[in-house]
Amino acid sequence: MRVLIAEDDASLANTLRKALREEHCAVDVAPDGDEALHLALAIAYDAIVLDVMLPGIDGWQVLERLRAEGRHTPVLVLTARDGVADRVRGLNLGADDYLCKPFELTELVARLRAMTRRASGNPAPTLTLGPITVDTAAQRVRRGNQLVELTAREYAILELLVRRRGTLVSRSAICEHLYAEDDEVLSNVVDVHVAALRRKLGRDLIETRRGQGYIVDA
Amino acid sequence: MRESLRARLLLLHTVAVTIIVTLVGATLCYSYWRTLVADLDRELTLRAATIVGALSPAAPGRFDLALPQDTRDYFRMEAPDQAYYGIWTASGVVVDTSDPDQSIPRPDGVGAVTRGDRREVVVTGPEETLVLVGRDLSRVRSEVQSLALAIVPVGLVAVGLSFMSGWLLAGRALAPIARMSRTARAMADGEFDARVPVDRTESELGQLAVSLNTAFDRMHGAIERQQRFTADASHDLRTPLAALMAEADWALGRPRNLEEYREALATCRSAAARMSAIVEGLLELARADADDVPLQVRRTPVEDVVHEAVALARPVAERRGIRIVSQVERADVKADPERLRQALSNVILNAIHYNHDGGHVAVSAAAEQGLVTLRVRDDGIGIGEEDLPHVFDRFYRADKARATVGGTGLGLALTKWIVERHGGTVACSSEPGVGTEFTLYLPSA
Repeated sequence: MRVLIAEDDASLANTLRKALREEHCAVDVAPDGDEALHLALAIAYDAIVLDVMLPGIDGWQVLERLRAEGRHTPVLVLTARDGVADRVRGLNLGADDYLCKPFELTELVARLRAMTRRASGNPAPTLTLGPITVDTAAQRVRRGNQLVELTAREYAILELLVRRRGTLVSRSAICEHLYAEDDEVLSNVVDVHVAALRRKLGRDLIETRRGQGYIVDA
Repeated sequence: MRESLRARLLLLHTVAVTIIVTLVGATLCYSYWRTLVADLDRELTLRAATIVGALSPAAPGRFDLALPQDTRDYFRMEAPDQAYYGIWTASGVVVDTSDPDQSIPRPDGVGAVTRGDRREVVVTGPEETLVLVGRDLSRVRSEVQSLALAIVPVGLVAVGLSFMSGWLLAGRALAPIARMSRTARAMADGEFDARVPVDRTESELGQLAVSLNTAFDRMHGAIERQQRFTADASHDLRTPLAALMAEADWALGRPRNLEEYREALATCRSAAARMSAIVEGLLELARADADDVPLQVRRTPVEDVVHEAVALARPVAERRGIRIVSQVERADVKADPERLRQALSNVILNAIHYNHDGGHVAVSAAAEQGLVTLRVRDDGIGIGEEDLPHVFDRFYRADKARATVGGTGLGLALTKWIVERHGGTVACSSEPGVGTEFTLYLPSA
């Protein structure tokens, strides 16, 4: 999952980055509104954690403009202020969920996952593709009844392809989904992972379209 | 309350008018009575003179009375105009009366007197005789009664008119008061932009309305500041709290190595330190509000205060490559040196925080017209026009999100409080993009 954290408090942003990385997310951090909007429009994030109090253009404006550009990226709004007014405003401007500071980290992660599940059109935590079962909450894959060991990246690619089943997913889209802006990416790393998936789950699972990308369940 | 005031005014007004009308009416009637009686007296006196003229002594104790015909007719009138006369000798023997069947009491002396229903005039005649002429007062009485009867309806109309006009006037006068009390109630209920409509500012009620509106404006302003303060304070405390909680959650989320735990504890510590600074600032301000802060005021050389404040700020400035220069005149203020230093430090730190790396801060102190002026000028980012009046408000930050810039947002509020407690004032001027100048005016020692 590729996540953008728009938060000006460096300490909190850092903690969130650490935590989400451990949940196998690729994380970018934007310390102000302008940067946040720029990144949100440039990259197809799976989720955005947006603090409403941002320097430069504030969180509300980032949200408004994002939605005005027709982006449906799920947004979870963070606020430290009192009151229903902020919550209502956030939801009315197009936020998908809301959390007040201070919050429990586990709750933030769970809400992010739920949000992205809803956005992908499949709110159920388990995806099925033939004999393959993907448990997105526990991040585990089964083949039949057998648990299959996958690395974090392999799992991420599989979940992405299964969520977009029937759709062609380009290599660059996979990279964008898997890696943060400041990660170093080797050019053929995706191929390596896909090969590993084929080994573990079956040759026929993922189809390669030369020069275009990968697809499951075509 | 309003009803009884109106009713009281009206009652007073009506009672006053009734009394006046009654007095005027009574005076009129009495005056008329007196006039009529005077006329009657003149008439009776005339008749008495005629009788005296008609009396001639005949023998000792005996008189002849030769009354003219009209006089004789006069005394033959029927009731209620009946007139009568009586003549007595000096020793009290009756000489003649108009009606022998009726006994007329002998008068005591000369003059005009009212006896019961009659008016009698007594004069002296030849040889000290007493001549009395009297007449019934019924006609006079009924004349006066007619007048009174004529006055009564007029009086009633007058009272009625005054009642109505009083009712209207009282209503018109009291309506603005009712409006004011409605507005006050609205304010009390939380409608903070309720104001009294003012149509004529010269009248007393107009003045009152203006004063009330001013008071309401102040109250509204104070409440808004309070609400903003609460919102800002909660935000500023919750942000480091969120960082602390998230880091603790992360550290406890799974087994970690020593380095990770150390890192987590360091992050928690710095968040706690941030909150601690805010809490300390809040406590200071709360004590200041409760006027609970003892100042140790003494003759303080202002150059010492400046030097100390600048020295404390230098390390912070150096980290950002910012230069601080100071230019100080020798002057003394009556101040608590530590507090004054604190006030100045907060301003200097502000100048550093909102400055570019490599910028400049100039601190100066001068004696001007009985005041000691401390100035802190910087060439930093400046403060916008909308933010300038709020710069000394608690937690106010021009760019509302600059939690990371440093400081608690309370420093300038404390500075203002300290300076004002010393009897001085603070001022701030700025040009965005160019720089800012803070001035602290203190009374010199």
